[in-house]
Amino acid sequence: MSQQSILIVEDDIWLAEQQSRILKKAGYKTTISPHALAAIEAVDDGKYDVIILDVLLTGSTGFALLHELQSHSDTNIIPVILCTNLATDLSLDDVKPYGVRRILDKTTMEPDDVVVAVRSVL
Amino acid sequence: MSSKRGTHEELDGGMFSDGLPSLIAAAHELKSPLALVRQLSLMLESGDVTDDERQRLLRQISLTSERALRLTGDLTKSVRLDDAMFQLEPINPQQLCEDIVHELRPLFAAHGRDVSVQSRKHPLLLVANRDLLRRIIMNFSDNALHYTEDQSAVQIQVNALKNGQIIRLGVRDFGPALSSDMWRTLQSKLTSAPQPVHARPQSSGLGLYIASQFAVAMNGTIGVTRHRDGATFYVDLHASRQLSLI
Repeated sequence: MSQQSILIVEDDIWLAEQQSRILKKAGYKTTISPHALAAIEAVDDGKYDVIILDVLLTGSTGFALLHELQSHSDTNIIPVILCTNLATDLSLDDVKPYGVRRILDKTTMEPDDVVVAVRSVL
Repeated sequence: MSSKRGTHEELDGGMFSDGLPSLIAAAHELKSPLALVRQLSLMLESGDVTDDERQRLLRQISLTSERALRLTGDLTKSVRLDDAMFQLEPINPQQLCEDIVHELRPLFAAHGRDVSVQSRKHPLLLVANRDLLRRIIMNFSDNALHYTEDQSAVQIQVNALKNGQIIRLGVRDFGPALSSDMWRTLQSKLTSAPQPVHARPQSSGLGLYIASQFAVAMNGTIGVTRHRDGATFYVDLHASRQLSLI
């Protein structure tokens, strides 16, 4: 079976590297995009099984990327996990229509929570 | 702390009606570095790291903590701005910027980026408070670090405007272009002081708002110029006449 591929959209490169390291250790292939534009290019160029998305990004916000993903039939089926400092301000019900399946709170999550979240949406 | 604190009425964008930064805006800005320090510390705690990784994580924790401490220092200074006397003096901006670059280079290097000062043939002098000006440029540089593309360099520029009467210190970053909507929002915020200035969507604008306050305290202004491949945040200050008198 081929490795499942995770796109990490995170502008804090040190946090992205840690998430990538943990996911690789759990057997996933990862790609890091530091902003929404790079993420759109990555999604155009490759196939991803899950997207881990920060909300407050440099340039366009994560919500702009969610809108873009929802507007294409091949990308609106990719499960999205929001990983954000704004988790307490967001409701999963409100963002479910945008393909969001889980919300992780950066301020309280444990490093391995990202693996648990990915497994839960695959 | 000001005795007026109890009467603050919070406005949109995280400022109180009397221009002081709100607790919410401050908390928001501090949340990111603190959350990162926590995640990096948890990685260390897990013990599942090599010696090299441990060293790198420790370095990242130190640099992130320093960034958060700079913000708390700026906040304190900002709140006490009205009460304090700030001495304005002739300053060589090139030398000041070179000192800042020396201080920031390890942080930039840890992010795979570089920062430099554009050199000038002819020296310039401006009138400013050294500490406040340093904080403004550090603030712009921190903003640029998080906006500029990987492996690219942030450049600090010193230029004379209006026949040498105004000295502009700019911090040029190289990243995704600001969209027209973002640009309009930014311009409106910049021209309607003391409204907060939102640099980037991920920012509460607190850092730039504080920079704006510091600039005003030195009879200066801050602004931003959009480029196809990034932006320049700048502070304009009055030139010192000391050089012309020599």
